[in-house]
Amino acid sequence: MVGGGAGIMKKSRSKGLLVGLMFILPNVLGFGAFILVPLLMSFGMAFTDWDFLRHNMFRDEPLNFVGFENFVRLFTHPQFWHYLGNTFFLMLGLPFAIAGSLGAALLLTRAGQAKHQIKPVMILATLIMIGSGLGLLQGGMAENGVWFFFGLLTAITLVAGVLTGGSVYRTLFYLPNFTAGVATFVLWKKLYHPDTGPINQGVAPLLDGLAAWINQMPGAFGYGLPLVAGIVMVLVVGWQLRRLRRAWDLSEAGLVALVAGTVAIVVPVGLMLGWFGLSASAAVAGSTAGLVGFVGLTARRLRPWGIPKPADKGLGTEVALAMLLIPGLLILAGAMVVGPSLPAAAMAGLSAPDWLGDYHWAKPALMMMMLWAAIGSNNMILYLAGLSSISPELYEAADMDGATPRQRFWHITWPQLAPVTFFISIMSVIHGLQGGFEMARTMTLGGPAGATTTLSYFIYIEGFETGRIGYASAVAWVLFALVFVLSIFNFRYGNRHVQD
Amino acid sequence: MKSLFLVVTLALVIMSALLHWTAPDRASPVPVLYWVTQDDEVKRETIELFKQWLHDHGHPPVDVRLDNSNSDQTKKITQGLAGVGADLFDVYPFQKDLFSSSGMFLDVTDVAKERGFSPEASYPALKQEILFEGRQYGFPRNTGGAVFWLNTETFARYGIPEPSFRWTWDEFEKLGTAFVTAANPPGTRNRSYFVQSVPLIMLRRSLGLSIFNETMTKATLDDPRNAELMRRYLRWVNELHLMPTVAEQTAMAASSSRPGDGFFYLFATGRYAMLNLPRWALIRLRPLGKLSMRIVEPFHGGFPNMDFSCGLISVYAASKHPEAATRFLEFLASERFNLLVARSGDSLPPIPKYVQSEAFLRPPDHPEEWAIQEAFSKMGPELGIGYSRSPFVALGTVFRVESKISQAVVAGRLSPEEAGRQEEEELNAEIALTIRVDEKMRQRHEALTKIQVQIDQRRALGQKVPLAWITNPFYRVYYQAQGWLEEAPAS
Repeated sequence: MVGGGAGIMKKSRSKGLLVGLMFILPNVLGFGAFILVPLLMSFGMAFTDWDFLRHNMFRDEPLNFVGFENFVRLFTHPQFWHYLGNTFFLMLGLPFAIAGSLGAALLLTRAGQAKHQIKPVMILATLIMIGSGLGLLQGGMAENGVWFFFGLLTAITLVAGVLTGGSVYRTLFYLPNFTAGVATFVLWKKLYHPDTGPINQGVAPLLDGLAAWINQMPGAFGYGLPLVAGIVMVLVVGWQLRRLRRAWDLSEAGLVALVAGTVAIVVPVGLMLGWFGLSASAAVAGSTAGLVGFVGLTARRLRPWGIPKPADKGLGTEVALAMLLIPGLLILAGAMVVGPSLPAAAMAGLSAPDWLGDYHWAKPALMMMMLWAAIGSNNMILYLAGLSSISPELYEAADMDGATPRQRFWHITWPQLAPVTFFISIMSVIHGLQGGFEMARTMTLGGPAGATTTLSYFIYIEGFETGRIGYASAVAWVLFALVFVLSIFNFRYGNRHVQD
Repeated sequence: MKSLFLVVTLALVIMSALLHWTAPDRASPVPVLYWVTQDDEVKRETIELFKQWLHDHGHPPVDVRLDNSNSDQTKKITQGLAGVGADLFDVYPFQKDLFSSSGMFLDVTDVAKERGFSPEASYPALKQEILFEGRQYGFPRNTGGAVFWLNTETFARYGIPEPSFRWTWDEFEKLGTAFVTAANPPGTRNRSYFVQSVPLIMLRRSLGLSIFNETMTKATLDDPRNAELMRRYLRWVNELHLMPTVAEQTAMAASSSRPGDGFFYLFATGRYAMLNLPRWALIRLRPLGKLSMRIVEPFHGGFPNMDFSCGLISVYAASKHPEAATRFLEFLASERFNLLVARSGDSLPPIPKYVQSEAFLRPPDHPEEWAIQEAFSKMGPELGIGYSRSPFVALGTVFRVESKISQAVVAGRLSPEEAGRQEEEELNAEIALTIRVDEKMRQRHEALTKIQVQIDQRRALGQKVPLAWITNPFYRVYYQAQGWLEEAPAS
C-alpha cells in the first residue's frame, strides 16, 4: 500500500510538473524563438562577414569566418569613438533624471498628505493667475501668451492636485511614460522649433530682458559671471581634493578610488582648457600632469596605518559623486568661457537657440527631453513605492530628537531608499547605453553632423544602410560588453554602498 | 485552471485558423497583388486603370491592394529577405542598387524587351537609373528632377526681379540677399527664406566635378572646386540666411501631417520665395489655390545640369503571382498610366512621348500651369543626368555622408577644405571595405582602376578618351559637352 501511495504521489507530481511546464511553455518558446536564438545567432554573426546583400535566401554565397576582424575594424573606426562619446554624453543627464524622479516622488508623497492645505494652494494658484494675467495685459498675446497659458495650466493643476489628494499630480507626472515615444518626439520637435516653438517663444522675451540687463551692466556679466563661476569652480575643486585627501588619510578611499575621484575634476578642467583655446595635446598633457601629481603626492603621504586595502575601496562613492561633479563643473566651465563674450552678444540681441539644428545645442536639447521623460517614469513609481515602505516610526523618532527636514531626508529617507536608488541606477545606465535610437531617428536623423548619433543608431546604420549585419552585430556585442561591465561595476561597488 | 488553460489554447488555435482562412487573398476569387506604396488617390486610380487595362487586353483579372504600413526601408529589406515581401515594391533612387543587389527583385530584362517596357522605352538619361549591373529589375512609375519654383507674387511684393530661366550662382546669391533683406525687416522673428534647400550634388556638377571619378572607383572631393562650393553653401546658410538650417527644415516637416507639407504652405504664403522640387510639387500646390508660379532651371556655376532620376516599381522575386506582377510593370508603360501621371501633377511620365501630350502640356483645369508644363517638357530631357552610382558604395551611404559633412560645415566643425578631405576619406574607406570583403568586387575595382589610370594619363596629355571607359553618368555627359570624347554617344 505504501508503495502504491508513493507511486500515486509520484504520478501526481509528474502530472503537476507536466501541467506546470505546459503553462510556462509559451513563454519559454517565445523567449527561445525571439530572444535566445537571435542572441546566439547575433553572437556568431559578429565573427563573420555576413552581408545581407550577399548572404540571403536569394543569393547563397558562402559565409566566411573572419575572427575578430569586425571588432578590430570597429575599434579603429573613428566614427565609433565619436558615437560612443555621444552615448556617454547623453548619459550625463542620468544623475539629474534620478534626482528628478526622487524629487517628484517626494513632492507627490507630500501632496498626498496635504489635502488640508487647500487654502495656501488656492492663494498661490490665484497669485499665479493674476501674475499671468498682468503679464498678458502688459505684453499682449504675441509676447506673453505662452506664459499666460502656462500660468493658467499651473494654477489649475495645483488646485486639482490638492483637491484629489495628489491623484492628478501622479497621473500628470506619469503621463510621459505611457505616451508613445514617437508621438512625444514629434511633439518635442514642435516645441523646439526655432521660430514658432513654444520654448523659444517663451525664452525670447526672457532673453530680450536679459540682453537689456547685460547691456546696462556689461562689466558685471563680462567679468563678474566668469569670476563667480571661476571662484565656485575653485571652491568645488578644492573641496573635492580636500575630501579625497581626507578619505585617503582615513583609509576610506583606495588608490583606484583616489584616481577616479581626481579624474572627476581633471576631465572637466581639461575640457575647459581646450575651450579656452589650448591645443588638445596640451590640455591632455596638463590634465594628466594634474592627475598624476595629485595622486602621487597624496599616495606618498606618510601614514602610520599603511595604504588602504583593497585598492578599490570607496570607488562606488567616488563614481557616484563624479556623475554629479562632472556635469556641474562643465556648467561652471561653460559660464567662464561664455561670460566674456556675453556683452558683445547682448549688444546684437540674444537669440534663442536653434535647439536641434545647432551642433552644440542638439545633445543638451535631447537631454532635456530625456529628463522630462525620466522624471515621470517608472523610476518615480519605484521611489513612491520605496517611500511608502519606510517605517513611520523612524520619522517619529527623528521628530522627537528634533531633526530638521534636511536631517530627516539625509539620515532616514536617503539611506532607506538606497536599494531603490541602486536598482534605478543600474537600469538607467543600461537604458542610457542602449537608448537614443528612436529619439535620434525621429528628431534629428543622428545630426547635425552626427552630434546625436548614438551607438544604437550606429548599429541601425551599419545593419540596414549597408547590409553589413556581421559588423553591426559586432557593434551590438561591444555595446553589450559595455553594459555588462558597467552593470558588474554597479553591482560590485553600488551594492557595497547599499550594504553600508 | 487547467481547463481554462486548455480552453484559451483551443480558442487561440481556432481564431488563428479562422484568421488564416479568411485572409483577403484567400477570400479573393482572383490573385491578389500587394503593393508597398503610399495610400493616396492617384495610387487608387492607378489600380482601377490597371484592372481596366487587364480587361481590355484580355489578361486574367487581378486585384491589387495597397500596403501603406511597410514602406520603410528597414521593413522592405527585412520582409523581402525573409521571404514574406509584398508582390510589388516602390523603390526610391537610393534603394535601387541596395535592394537589387540582394536578389530580392525579379529580373525582368527579357520579358521587358519582349513586352516593350525596357529602359529604351524611357529617357536615355535614365538608363543607369533603371538598370543594375546591366539587368532590369523594375520600371519607372515617375521620373524627373528638382527645378526651382517661383512664387511670382512674392517676388513682386518685395520688388525683387525674378531670375532668368537659366541663371548662375552669382545671380542666386544677389537675388537671394536682396529678398531676405527685404522680407526680414529688423525685429521680425519668423524668418522668410529665398529657398528651402539647394542640391549640393547638382551644384558640384555645375563646376565640372562629381563625387566620384570617371570609373567611380574613388571619391574625388579633396578638390578646390568642392571647397569653393562648401564656402558658398556656408555663406548662403549662415551669413546670408538664404535657406533654413536642417533643424528648421525638419521642424517645419514635423508641423504638418505629410512630410514637406510645411514648405508648400510657406511657399504659398510668401515665406519662401522659391521651392527646389520636382514636378510632383503640383500635387501639393494645387490644393493651395491658383498660385502665380514659374519654374526656372537649377542655377549653375558654369555647367547647367539637373539631377534626374526615377522611382521604380519592382516585382518581388518570391512573389506568388510573378506573371500578374510583371503585367503591372508592363502597364506602367501604357498610355493610360502615363496620361494619369501627366494629369495628376506627379513627376514626368515614364514614357517620354507623353510629355508632349495635350494632357501634360495643357491640363484643362489648370491653364495657369501651361507655361510651367511647357518648361518641364524640355528641361528634364535636356539637362537631366542620373546619379553617380558607384558599385562600391551604397547611394544611401553617399547621401548620409554628404548630409553629415555639409551639416558639419554649417556647424563650424569643419572648414570647407576639410569637408572635402573628410568626405573623400569616408567614402574611400567604404570602397576599401567593400573590395576587401568581396573578392568579385575587388577584381572589378582593379580592372576599373586600370582604366582610370589610362583616362588620367590621356587627360593629362589633353587627349580624348573612349566613351566606353567612363561609367560615371555625369562625366559621360560632361566629357561630351567639353569635346573630350573620341566618339559621340549612341543616343
